[in-house]
Amino acid sequence: MSTTSAPPHIEAFAHKVGSVAHGVPGGATGWQGSLLHIHIAPAASYEMEELTEARCVAGRGIEGDRYCLGTGTYSPKADTREVTLIEQEVLDALARNDPPLQEGPIHLAPIDHRRNLTVRGVPLNHLVGRRFQVGEVILRGGRLNFPCKYLEELLGLPVYLPLYNRSGLNCGIERGGIIRPGDPITLVE
Amino acid sequence: MSARIVMKLTVVEAIATTPEVVRLTLVHPRRPQLPAWEPGAHVDLRLPDERVRQYSLCGDPADRSRYVLAIKREEAGRGGSAWAHAHLGAGASVPISHPRNHFLLTAGARHHVLIGGGIGVTPVAAMARHLAATGGNFTLHLCARSAAQAPLLEELRAVCGERLRCWFSAEGERLDPATLGPPEDGVHLYACGPQSLTAAVQALGWPADQVHVEHFAPLVVEGFVPEPFDVQIASTGATLHVPAETSLLEVLRQNGVNMPSSCEIGVCGACECGYREGDVIHRDVVLPQARRRDHLMPCVSRASGTLTLAL
Repeated sequence: MSTTSAPPHIEAFAHKVGSVAHGVPGGATGWQGSLLHIHIAPAASYEMEELTEARCVAGRGIEGDRYCLGTGTYSPKADTREVTLIEQEVLDALARNDPPLQEGPIHLAPIDHRRNLTVRGVPLNHLVGRRFQVGEVILRGGRLNFPCKYLEELLGLPVYLPLYNRSGLNCGIERGGIIRPGDPITLVE
Repeated sequence: MSARIVMKLTVVEAIATTPEVVRLTLVHPRRPQLPAWEPGAHVDLRLPDERVRQYSLCGDPADRSRYVLAIKREEAGRGGSAWAHAHLGAGASVPISHPRNHFLLTAGARHHVLIGGGIGVTPVAAMARHLAATGGNFTLHLCARSAAQAPLLEELRAVCGERLRCWFSAEGERLDPATLGPPEDGVHLYACGPQSLTAAVQALGWPADQVHVEHFAPLVVEGFVPEPFDVQIASTGATLHVPAETSLLEVLRQNGVNMPSSCEIGVCGACECGYREGDVIHRDVVLPQARRRDHLMPCVSRASGTLTLAL
């Protein structure tokens, strides 16, 4: 399940979405968030595992994760997916059935949503085309994540519709390093 | 909807239930409860080279803390069982999918006749445990060469008591499915084991909805010669050519249509796909007859002429 060659990542600001947003004024400023959880999985469909510390490798991904190894569901397709993030606020909203698009509350635990980083206080939808810092690591927002039917099938939970437009952010790693839960997250102006 | 996440479970016990069959008890390293399952369910075991093998859960469906599998060492098999016997001792980590079930007990049946041939006793063992615990009416026929080679024999004696009927060929006793009698309303047959056994049960002529079989080997049809055909994708109108030597699943994959897949020999059910029109040659062992009218398994099934897929 390991691969010797780097998977075909598209550099975040070269992505067709990130490249348009990059350099355009606007977005949210003046916020400060934090990193709550780090999760990786060794290959497509494997259960996520929580880490207390992770190494981010520039242009590649999180050490040990499927999108760093090239073993992910979407690895064969070139895209921006070195690190994926989701807001804890979205998980909280699903848990209170907000908006009420399905039969009832969905409890999507950080270990189950399959994004790498669960963050709080970070306006992910405003970070396409922006640089931001997680601890010592600098990430580039490449494109919004999009919920997939595969996740619904994998989890056996109807998460597709409630995650629409708030499914998180796919990023590239500009500067690698070590990240840990509790790391502050700030915009790089 | 069924979840198919792969969990790395820990082997907490590996004991020989016969000289050829190892009985593995698996727990999750972090979670106290495993996903729920119903009797008849199986899991996929992922081998280190990413090949997949299916094994029935044979423990107690009411016990969410552990999964129990029994794996027979198949010298002539495809290599999975030999790997499992060599590597899965206590403490080993083994990638296991969430359970899936194509072999369900029929709710409300008056009587269940469970038939397990050799290692095929595993899914019906779970059925027997469930029926015994919930007051269901059943008989379990266990077919093996001898008592020493009958998997799970001691525990099935304890679970079933008088409801267990053993057939040991070394002692000259063989189950003749014809002796099971004519079909009766509310009586269901369940068989898992060698193809000769399941074929004999299916040949009894019972109504199809009262006969349930589980296969863990691909269907072998002597002399089948695959022919090329064309496939049209309904949503886009695109037409793809499937050469004789390539599976439909592989052609879809090469053209960017990624179906879920697992065994790729027509037994696991992962790649099930709907179709609108076409003359389908079904070669799987998993789809029920009624579902074959508009679904197929693209890993093994083919078509003649042009097939239109509901994709």
